Amino acid sequence: MSATARYVFAVARGLRAEDLTGTAGLHGAPLRVVEQGGLSAVVCDVDLAEFGEQPLIDNLEDLTWVERTARTHNEVVWRVAGCATCAPLRLVTVCSDDDSVRAKVDALRADLDEVLDRVEGRQEWSLKVLVPRRPAEELATAPSTMSGTDYLRRKREAAEQRRGQGEDAARAAHELDEVARAHAVASRRLAPQDPRLSGRSEAMVLNAAYLVQADAHEPFRTAVLTASERHRDVSVELDGPWPPYSFAVLG
Amino acid sequence: MTVTASTETTVSTGASQVSLVDLLDRLLGTGVVLAGDVVISLAGVDLVEIRLNALLTSVRADMARPGRRTP
Amino acid sequence: MTNDAHARLRQHLDTDPDSVARELFKLVLTIIELVRQLMEAQALRRVDEGDLSDEQVDALGLGLLRLEEAMDELKSRYGLTTADLNLDLGPLGTLLSDSF
Repeated sequence: MSATARYVFAVARGLRAEDLTGTAGLHGAPLRVVEQGGLSAVVCDVDLAEFGEQPLIDNLEDLTWVERTARTHNEVVWRVAGCATCAPLRLVTVCSDDDSVRAKVDALRADLDEVLDRVEGRQEWSLKVLVPRRPAEELATAPSTMSGTDYLRRKREAAEQRRGQGEDAARAAHELDEVARAHAVASRRLAPQDPRLSGRSEAMVLNAAYLVQADAHEPFRTAVLTASERHRDVSVELDGPWPPYSFAVLG
Repeated sequence: MTVTASTETTVSTGASQVSLVDLLDRLLGTGVVLAGDVVISLAGVDLVEIRLNALLTSVRADMARPGRRTP
Repeated sequence: MTNDAHARLRQHLDTDPDSVARELFKLVLTIIELVRQLMEAQALRRVDEGDLSDEQVDALGLGLLRLEEAMDELKSRYGLTTADLNLDLGPLGTLLSDSF
């Protein structure tokens, strides 16, 4: 009874349909490949009651729904990127039917070719630099005998110390970013992550993505880890290699 | 005086090991933000929505008003 | 093709009859802490502007000191740390501690 549409996960070059066996789409729907001009769009059927324009507005405000969808989306993209040159799409790209998918691929052909050329033989690394927050200064000795002026002076000193720490952390982040960029063909800064989503209480001073050539993964990793040894007052998180999400910005 | 914390350097691979927030960063595009709204529900029933962003904005505007002095 | 799926994700505070009082209290305490930190930051700015008398500076400081003491008492009574409250605020809390 309900109408279906096509959810598009990624567009790939050099993908064979059999590469996708064993991986399912959303709600277990089978993955299909829609070919157009030598490119392969990886799709699955979805229900418009869930993925239509109006239902999406509500669903995209629901973190549980977003998480479920994002995880499946990522599994599919991961699989595709493992078998072919892959331009991953952002969450929720929906077309009405196969012809509509083909039309989109045609319309975005130039961009798609550019992205696929850019990411071919390359993968993404994620680098994050975090600074532990200073614990709130406690009103240590004899708070009731402290003058208001002294209290404010202590607060200002604490604020200045925090500022200094922030500057040190920014310097560390800058150096690590430079080291990473020296071993990458492209890089992109992302916004620091919302602590409620990351579950981390530390301040994030760097959230960046790097596009690294296949034969440069080891040197990249080693260089960044070595550099992080010189900055032991910050936390460094290096993750990868991943499909090149951050370098497939389309439209 | 420098405060030092141990450096944690972690490297991970595999689709399922990517954190949700990293996925959202990439799959949802420019900087995912929790809107600062809290929906309070009781016994599974949504009752009240609090817009914390709006609260913060109005408090800051008030605080920033210049020239307020007690006579 | 690219959908600007810019989600405004909302947090759910799911309570039940046994937890609702504590959860609401935690939320209220979080907002009070927010306001306290804002007041502290503003006070420091006003003092830096240099147009307050010594008595005013001292009175400001004393008021804020009492406020912090009161907050500490409330937090300890309910077994909450500042870290507990910061996480609830997320980006707002971050905004706050970065601002001063």
